[in-house]
Amino acid sequence: MFGRGSKVPAAIALAASLLGLLFASYSTLDYAKHLDRRLHDVHCSFIPGAAATNEAEACRVAMYSPYSALLKDQYWGGLPISLFGLGAFCFFAAFSLYLLLSAERAPRRAVGFFALIGTTPLLVSLLMLTISLTQLGQLCKTCVGIYIAAFLLAVGAIGTWVANRGDAAAPRQPIALALIPAWLVALGVTTLVPAVVYAASVPDQRQYLSQCGEIKQAKIKGDNPIKLRGTRAVQPTMLFEDPLCPTCKAFHDRLVTENIIEKLDIELVLFPLDSECNWMLDHPLHPGACIVSKAVLCGEGNARQVLEWAYTEQEYLARAGKAGAGVLRAAIKQRWGEGLLRCVDDRKTDVRLNNHLHFASENNIPVSTPQMYLGKRRICDEDTDLGLRYTLGQLAPEVLK
Amino acid sequence: MTQATDPGPRTVANGASASAVAGIGALVVGALLCAGSAFAVRSWTSAAAERLVTPEAEKPEVAIADQAEVAYCTTQFKQVLERVLHSCGLAEGEARRGCKPTDVKTFASISDDDFNALFTPLKDRGGVIMFDEGRDDLDDKAKKLLEERWFARKGARYFFVVARASKTGNQAKNRALSHRRANSVMYFLTQLANDPQIEKKVGMLWLGNEFAQLSKEYCSWPTSRPEEKCDEEPINRSAFVSWVDCRL
Repeated sequence: MFGRGSKVPAAIALAASLLGLLFASYSTLDYAKHLDRRLHDVHCSFIPGAAATNEAEACRVAMYSPYSALLKDQYWGGLPISLFGLGAFCFFAAFSLYLLLSAERAPRRAVGFFALIGTTPLLVSLLMLTISLTQLGQLCKTCVGIYIAAFLLAVGAIGTWVANRGDAAAPRQPIALALIPAWLVALGVTTLVPAVVYAASVPDQRQYLSQCGEIKQAKIKGDNPIKLRGTRAVQPTMLFEDPLCPTCKAFHDRLVTENIIEKLDIELVLFPLDSECNWMLDHPLHPGACIVSKAVLCGEGNARQVLEWAYTEQEYLARAGKAGAGVLRAAIKQRWGEGLLRCVDDRKTDVRLNNHLHFASENNIPVSTPQMYLGKRRICDEDTDLGLRYTLGQLAPEVLK
Repeated sequence: MTQATDPGPRTVANGASASAVAGIGALVVGALLCAGSAFAVRSWTSAAAERLVTPEAEKPEVAIADQAEVAYCTTQFKQVLERVLHSCGLAEGEARRGCKPTDVKTFASISDDDFNALFTPLKDRGGVIMFDEGRDDLDDKAKKLLEERWFARKGARYFFVVARASKTGNQAKNRALSHRRANSVMYFLTQLANDPQIEKKVGMLWLGNEFAQLSKEYCSWPTSRPEEKCDEEPINRSAFVSWVDCRL
């Protein structure tokens, strides 16, 4: 594939490292921007340098996922893993430049070392790709940019080794074996430097965690909330959710994936953003959410299962909701049977859902979902996504134990 | 047979020197890239920290959940209803319930026609529950209409029952009759709703035949007896019921 002594593979490795550096920079920048607790557009494109956009659902899902950062309990949002990519690609760029400039004079041990170590970003990328596909069900384009860079880097690294293999005629300077651990240390240091700088300069969020108010009235008049008590529940929590809201689904998935839900004693209040039952909206944000909310209410002891079914089938149910109530009712009947559908159609269920909505209005909560209350204290929206683990660590540390 | 050629000591030395130069160059570039990345990271986090303390813009306004408030909730309408709420026992902590004609006249401080006009926007939201002459019991159609209206609460907080009696009979008898009609509605709602908070939701007024009698134009409103002949007599043997979509 590459001719003996060819410089092309080293050039590919250098270009791949710079590409990886660029994508890792965008990913880190997107993460760091959110440290101001505001919602920002994110970079989500295969094209390096493409502007940030607000249509970046997959990249946002990846960013909010538990796999996007380390040490989330210690730092608000954690230390994004792209930071480590940023540092590592610096090392690989420098090393591939060295091999490119040295060409056929490059020491064999250096070429061999690069061939081995240059594939590690690909291995990490394969792991992250698997997680994206199996756990998140979505691919973030910026992440894919990093995966492609890692693949090209591996091609370049192995290609450099292949191009230099058996070229005994080339004048090579033998190098001390001790340089290999030195390179490994250099790789470790460059990989860690951005993360250390980030950790040292990340703003202190503690004073902002309790600034989003409290719930005034703790009980729903004329109804019981839906109880979703975890197996090791230690923290009374109230959640306002809409079963057809994608952000609620992502939030619920985070609670489940991070094993937080089992530590919560949840009272679920349904707050469908559908003007069919919710007078606080002038048009339906999630058509059909009223019917699906009633199905959750009718789930009674199986409410969590119905809710999780709604989240799992959210895309289909959202389409069904737009197609009409009949399609949605058929989906509910098919999965949960005639009895639950009868309950959905019962006027008493309308009243129950209406009581949930009045509970929201009597508490003057923001018209948005999801909302989380630890006891009476409202958790700010930004603390339910990027800052979830950190916030729980500060306000309800027993949940993370 | 091919043999490896000895590159010779000078060539190796030249190669070593070139390789060392390349190594130093790469080391410098690597250090610069690493320092640049660290500097960039530091500047991004610092910028975010600065925005956290001094935001560039206010957070976007988010709607706050509240009871419904529709166009007919004019200041005058709300004034009258608020007086009724506070004077007829609906407000929090009040012991008495309901308002009789003299109360309404006093508290509403409004003419009969103006009082009725206030309810005009509720034509489709509400309904007129019709009664037989001298009777206060609800027939099936009345119950059906009442049930329909009760379950169509949406964002309203208060449900009003305004009971009347026709001109037939004396004032005291009609006052008592309209009171019983209001109570019939209330009793049915209590059975229907099974809601411990119902006392705080339903406002009752009974006007007898003394105040705000309905003209026969009100026969065109949704009634429990749409098929029956309607004029000023039967339309006042009634209780007008409606949720009110105003923040009172």
